[in-house]
Amino acid sequence: MELTAQAIFTGVLMGGFYGLVAVGLSLVFGTMKVINLAHGELVLLAAYIAYAVESQTGINPLLALPIAMVIVVGVSLLTFYLTNGIAKDKELNSLILTFGLGIVLTNGLLMVFSADIYSTQTAWFMEGVVVADTLFSMRGEIVAFVVGICALGALYWWLNHTWHGRAIRSVSSNREAAKLMGMNPTKAELWSWGVAGVLATLAGVMLYVISVIHPPIGHGLTIKAFIITVLAGMGSIPGVLIGALMIGVIEGLTTTFFQSSLAGLSSMTLFLLVLLIMPSGLFGKKAGH
Amino acid sequence: MKYTLETKNLSAGYGAMEVFWDLSLTFEEGRTTTIVGPNGAGKSTFLKTLMGLITPRQGDIRFKGESYTDQPTWNRINDGLVMIPEGRLLFSDLSVEENLIMGAYPKKTRKSMEKNREQVFQLFPRLKERRNQEAGTLSGGEAQMLAIGRGLMEEPEVCLIDEPSLGLSPVMTNEIFAIFRELKQEKMTLILVEQNTNQALKIADHVYLMQAGKVTLSEPREAVDLQRLEDLYFARKD
Repeated sequence: MELTAQAIFTGVLMGGFYGLVAVGLSLVFGTMKVINLAHGELVLLAAYIAYAVESQTGINPLLALPIAMVIVVGVSLLTFYLTNGIAKDKELNSLILTFGLGIVLTNGLLMVFSADIYSTQTAWFMEGVVVADTLFSMRGEIVAFVVGICALGALYWWLNHTWHGRAIRSVSSNREAAKLMGMNPTKAELWSWGVAGVLATLAGVMLYVISVIHPPIGHGLTIKAFIITVLAGMGSIPGVLIGALMIGVIEGLTTTFFQSSLAGLSSMTLFLLVLLIMPSGLFGKKAGH
Repeated sequence: MKYTLETKNLSAGYGAMEVFWDLSLTFEEGRTTTIVGPNGAGKSTFLKTLMGLITPRQGDIRFKGESYTDQPTWNRINDGLVMIPEGRLLFSDLSVEENLIMGAYPKKTRKSMEKNREQVFQLFPRLKERRNQEAGTLSGGEAQMLAIGRGLMEEPEVCLIDEPSLGLSPVMTNEIFAIFRELKQEKMTLILVEQNTNQALKIADHVYLMQAGKVTLSEPREAVDLQRLEDLYFARKD
């Protein structure tokens, strides 16, 4: 019983972090129908910047957020300009383009930082915390969970209650009608890529404080983000949260009761099962809508 | 006479197909112009070209005395040129209320958003009942009301209206035209594209008949002989 509670607790914490990794991809997918296959690499890029800042100056990696944000948002906007320049079959060709960009980023990181494995040297994040007398976690995991939940909440609020956020939803709903409301669709899309960059930065810095980084993991992050996005239903933020928590918990349970190498398999199985029953995802619109 | 909007030798089309040629039309400030004509005459394409949703092949669009041919759609909206599209051009996965709110997206209209929304709800109590419903679930008539309400939220100076009676019951059509008459009394410049010739003529100050991409009749309403218009409309010859 205690073991189960611990597994679920760890899974929920990881779920909050996975949601943070996935939500940037989900935002761009939902608004532009572009699947950014370099999203995980953007997250990893932010993690490496946090590493670089920490190893060079010895300060808390959280303080690397501003500089990481500038760089990662920059790369995200660059990706937007590249995909936006695709004249034909954008949905398909953007897959190839962003996949290639991911390879470039991975190898760029490999070139600059070598294939070594890094993790934070700030001991504060690795100290254990006991919650409710029995549940154990690292402080970093709690921080990542809280940041994840806050970021998702803030994004949800932003999309529903600000002019920029509503404009993004309008443009994705009906581009021509959005123009008739005085919106510049390209500007709205630029915003969504910029915000996706901010979210990737947060996810990357959190990744660095809870886990180890090395160049090839970006791809795995993209896949996780993509699974959660599809599980959620296109562009749904509550869906991303629920989907991410489900993935986190099933991975936690698998790791505790079987072995960690099966965690990927179990989350994939869950993913396929959900899609079998709900083809458009947890919060997705019915097909043809 | 002051023309707030005019086109000079305007042509546009899709791909290899020309939809209309060489249209030089004028629209007077504070008055109502209707463009009638059969399906496929190019009326809706003409309105979309006025809004910049379609790039003209050649010719010029002048609004308040300046050329707007190269202005993006959003600049035209911000300067008061607004189009109420035919009902299917809604944000179908946003709520009714959010659709109205998006009508207040132009910066100068944001301050009066609350007031305008209440006015729209007064005009169309139906929309108030359904404010939290997704716009995609509305009936044809309700969708048309929402498109009109959303357009009014944009505080138009010149308002282009595309086929407002399409799919509406006669009762609803009368109600909507009553609203247009009110707007006309408030001196809004209206450009109305309609297939419902009867209703459209009653409200018009000036009438254009458009057929197969050409204007075949341009007359002030008083001069229009309904019989002759219908003869032209249906290409009847005696």
